[in-house]
Amino acid sequence: MITPDDQILASLVETIRRTINEDWIEDFPITRETRFHDDLELESIEFVKIADAIQARFGKTIDIAGFLSGRSIQDLIALSVGDLADFIAAGA
Amino acid sequence: MARILITLPPLVGHLNPALAVAEALTAHGHTLAWAVHARQIGHALPKDARIYKLDSGTSAPDIAIPSARGLESVRLFFEDYTFPMARAALHPLEEAARHFRPDVVMVDHQMPAGALVARKLGLPFVSLVTTTASIQLASPTIDAWVAEQFAGLQRGYLPDHMITLRPDISPYLAIVFSIQMLAGQARALLDAPYLFVGPALAQFRRQVDFPWGWLDHEQRLILVTLGTISRDSNTRFFEIMMEALGAFTGIQAVMVAPASLAPHAPKNVMVRQMVPQLKLLDWAAAVICHAGHNTVCEALTRGLPLIVSPIRDDQPVIARQVIDAGAGLFMRHGKVTVPTARAAIEKLLQTPSLAARARTLGEALRAAPGAAGAASAIASLAAGGQRAA
Repeated sequence: MITPDDQILASLVETIRRTINEDWIEDFPITRETRFHDDLELESIEFVKIADAIQARFGKTIDIAGFLSGRSIQDLIALSVGDLADFIAAGA
Repeated sequence: MARILITLPPLVGHLNPALAVAEALTAHGHTLAWAVHARQIGHALPKDARIYKLDSGTSAPDIAIPSARGLESVRLFFEDYTFPMARAALHPLEEAARHFRPDVVMVDHQMPAGALVARKLGLPFVSLVTTTASIQLASPTIDAWVAEQFAGLQRGYLPDHMITLRPDISPYLAIVFSIQMLAGQARALLDAPYLFVGPALAQFRRQVDFPWGWLDHEQRLILVTLGTISRDSNTRFFEIMMEALGAFTGIQAVMVAPASLAPHAPKNVMVRQMVPQLKLLDWAAAVICHAGHNTVCEALTRGLPLIVSPIRDDQPVIARQVIDAGAGLFMRHGKVTVPTARAAIEKLLQTPSLAARARTLGEALRAAPGAAGAASAIASLAAGGQRAA
């Protein structure tokens, strides 16, 4: 059964693939544990693009900037796809 | 004539600009002294340099290069290198300043102990900003973390009323070895009295042999380098570059990489562990690099477009500056594939706007006042010509 949480994760993964838009990302497994920084080598500008796309998709209740500014630098470095998916799920 | 105390971390990228400014100051008759980790960089200073050692009796700071990349490398560089070194240097630096009695202290931005000592003793000081990443505002989380690091360093050394958000940057004069067109366009900078002087000519460069006869002047030359300090044991990036470059005709590439790769290089790619970079750049049509501040400025000074593939430290920020300025393309260091690399190289060589923007930046870099301009501003501060902002 597909839950709303699964849909959010799937939508997030799709947004990540579309934003990075390079050959390797097509086959690269993206799971809840995938880290934006270490595993995807995401540029901060790309993270902003993903965040913007998520905002547009799920509406204004998602305060991505607030979500990020409440975190320590260690949390920021270790941020995973699952962390962001949970945050969206909580706000959606 | 002024007395100027210079302090900086024992890292070559920071030493070269300081040496260039020092040479200009000496030429004008000013009296200089260096407070440095003499065991590491004493040999690179002028022969008659007056040196206050920051490493007598203590072990030299650990400059082992962590394998961390991106933001994690910045965190480690601050927490494990810059700040422990600053704490250890506070007292020897204060003694040096009390003994030498400088009119001005010239402080590399990554030697914050020098700034704290100057503030405590009420001495005017100049910041040497050798990478513009450290004066750009980042995200709230990162800026707050930086501020917290500086607060911790100041507590226990400076009286409470002197504690400030960014004690490392001078309220008198901050000399930036870049240009505003590159550093100050896309992102906000910290508020400080900046003087953008462009790159200072590298003084301490070893003579390096190169088989110049290999270069075919009918072909376009690409220099591929990840710098000396960032060179990884991981050779994946270089292997991808060799395969991608091997498919091109009309292009030669010199790649600064481990010698073990040389036997696998295609015939239009030469692998060398060390190269005379500035002379090669004079021949080059384009550069593929890690976006080290020095390499970027050296390439752009010659009007060369770049592919930037940042790994760690300030490189992601500098890479973004190059891309935002329209003179470069991004390549994801750990993920790039041969087809992606080929497409990027083709685009690099076939997009006239990249070369045009690089040439415009080159003109601005060449027109910048350089080390001589920095030296005059410092001399004027020493003569009491400027007050803290």
